[in-house]
Amino acid sequence: MTDKFVIAKNLHKSFNGHKAVNGVSFHVGKGEIFGLLGPNGAGKTTTIRILSTVLQPDRGDVLIGGHSIRKNPDSVRRLIGVCPQELALYEELSAMDNLVFFGRMVGLSGSEAKAQAVARLKLVGLRRRARGRVDKFSGGMKRRVNLAVSLMGHPRLLFLDEPTVGIDPQSRNNIYETIEGLRSKGMTVLYTTHYMEEASRLCDRVAIVDGGHIIAMDTPLALRSRIGPPESVTLEDVFLKLTGRSLRD
Amino acid sequence: MSKPLLVALHEVRIYLRDKGDLAFSLLLPVITFALMYGAFGGQDTFHGTAHMVNEDKGGVYSDLLVERLDALDILDVTLHSSKDADARLDRADLLLVFYIPYGFSDELSEGDQAELLVKQRGNGGDEGQIVASIVRSVVDDLAQEFHVRAQVSEAVEGEGISDEQVAATVDYFIAQQREDPTAHVREEALGGSSDPVETFLPSILTMYVLFAVTLTARAIVEERRKGTLERLMTTRLEVTQLFTGKFLAFCARGLVQTLILMLLAYAVFQMFTPASFFQSVAIVVVFLAAVSGLGLIIASVARTEDQAVWIAVVFTMVMVILGGTFFELPESGVLATLSNVSVNTYVNEALRAVINEGRSLADVGAQLAVLAVVAVVSLVISRFLFKVMPGGR
Repeated sequence: MTDKFVIAKNLHKSFNGHKAVNGVSFHVGKGEIFGLLGPNGAGKTTTIRILSTVLQPDRGDVLIGGHSIRKNPDSVRRLIGVCPQELALYEELSAMDNLVFFGRMVGLSGSEAKAQAVARLKLVGLRRRARGRVDKFSGGMKRRVNLAVSLMGHPRLLFLDEPTVGIDPQSRNNIYETIEGLRSKGMTVLYTTHYMEEASRLCDRVAIVDGGHIIAMDTPLALRSRIGPPESVTLEDVFLKLTGRSLRD
Repeated sequence: MSKPLLVALHEVRIYLRDKGDLAFSLLLPVITFALMYGAFGGQDTFHGTAHMVNEDKGGVYSDLLVERLDALDILDVTLHSSKDADARLDRADLLLVFYIPYGFSDELSEGDQAELLVKQRGNGGDEGQIVASIVRSVVDDLAQEFHVRAQVSEAVEGEGISDEQVAATVDYFIAQQREDPTAHVREEALGGSSDPVETFLPSILTMYVLFAVTLTARAIVEERRKGTLERLMTTRLEVTQLFTGKFLAFCARGLVQTLILMLLAYAVFQMFTPASFFQSVAIVVVFLAAVSGLGLIIASVARTEDQAVWIAVVFTMVMVILGGTFFELPESGVLATLSNVSVNTYVNEALRAVINEGRSLADVGAQLAVLAVVAVVSLVISRFLFKVMPGGR
């Protein structure tokens, strides 16, 4: 059990009678990239919000690094970094200013925040644009700044909520390489995406979520094997078979 | 450095980076001051214009009358031709015109009765009535002087005293009487000020500070819209620290704007003493704290920027109306009771006492205490009302 860095137990969350998360349980091992896949409104983002201490579950609990999100959210926040789906940045400021500010907010000193900001911007290929205003950046550059911000403070668990939405292949590839580099350094990642090839490439295990609960959870290879020979079946085939082809709101 | 201070500095950095916002917010007090100066600059009592037609041009007394009227600080004289004045009266361009008829001076010199003609539309208007009364009093003075001079000349006739000597002696006594009149009116100030700048500056200052409500109310909602609020709440920043940081930033911003206005008023209208200036700054700081706290309550309940702005605008209007910002409230009755719920009531009382009546901060301690309590209670309430998102912490 010691290698389980995240343990989510029977999570429930409702909004105005609608069950957004309905009995979700899973665990994520140390250094593992765990994917949460699901159609729109499946409950992925709500699950991440619960895990990142923004939302309180109605029932259930999550242990992150041994700390309960209910009893000890402050300790949990010391371990996590969150890259939200929206570009949660101050666009009037430079990339550097954004990173330094969030660095200070996670408890770094001024000099530590500056040093880490330079390193993170280098990691996402924006070292030379450090002083540029974010509102002048392309969509791909903004996404990379968004990712870099979430890495401030050396988090041990990184939440990536659809980090590659709407960007060019070059920026997407840079983000993939960054995530793979983080895995090689032992960082635990909880990843949500709509892109199945992305999940196949990056995730050690994936959970397919629909209607607020997990309907399948395994390695991408094992999931593909469930419906046919894995070399001729894609993760998207599995996804559509499990969640259906009807359109979602 | 503490996190609230970092949040406040961050907010200031954003403010400084937005050149348009920066220029607008710094220019606004300057523009307001320019409007105040244009409306009230150098004018602290009635000032009117006497429109006249002098058909007796070159006459000693007619020219003297025009000269005397023009010399008054409260009056300008504009001379018209008879034709022009009639036409303008017809068009209602002018409401009241004084005509000095031909022969006015000669009639006076010969001891006959001289007449000044006033043509007016309706009652001549409010300004016209005041100007007419001023002109009448100057004409009366002139007539009396002439009458005294004529009487004295007649009394000393045949005693070898020249008319020039009589005129000089009479003028001397008239001047002495003007300087130290036998009967005069004593003015007793009962509070308040006749100076419109002194009357309105405290109100304009409080209006500026009230803008902070809208700014503060928007601040948190804007963070929520951008997604930065949610991100911040996953860091080690506490909601209370975020609120305190925003609170400090908007107090600082409001103070800069208000200081610009106050410094201009100090420099141009000399309406502060050094002591009253710093006391007013202290009052403004406490009021800013109260107003920013109230802004944070709005920020806690509003879900969108539009909601935040509209709630803040309605709140500001109610505070201004109930606070006697631009008009005096009655001392008793429903409105007087309701005014106790407006923070403007307390700040206006405090500023007017310090600026207009020269009182000290100790004299307005009760008002400052109320504002300080509002600031602290608002901060606490806003923290309890706040949720990062529905269902969140």
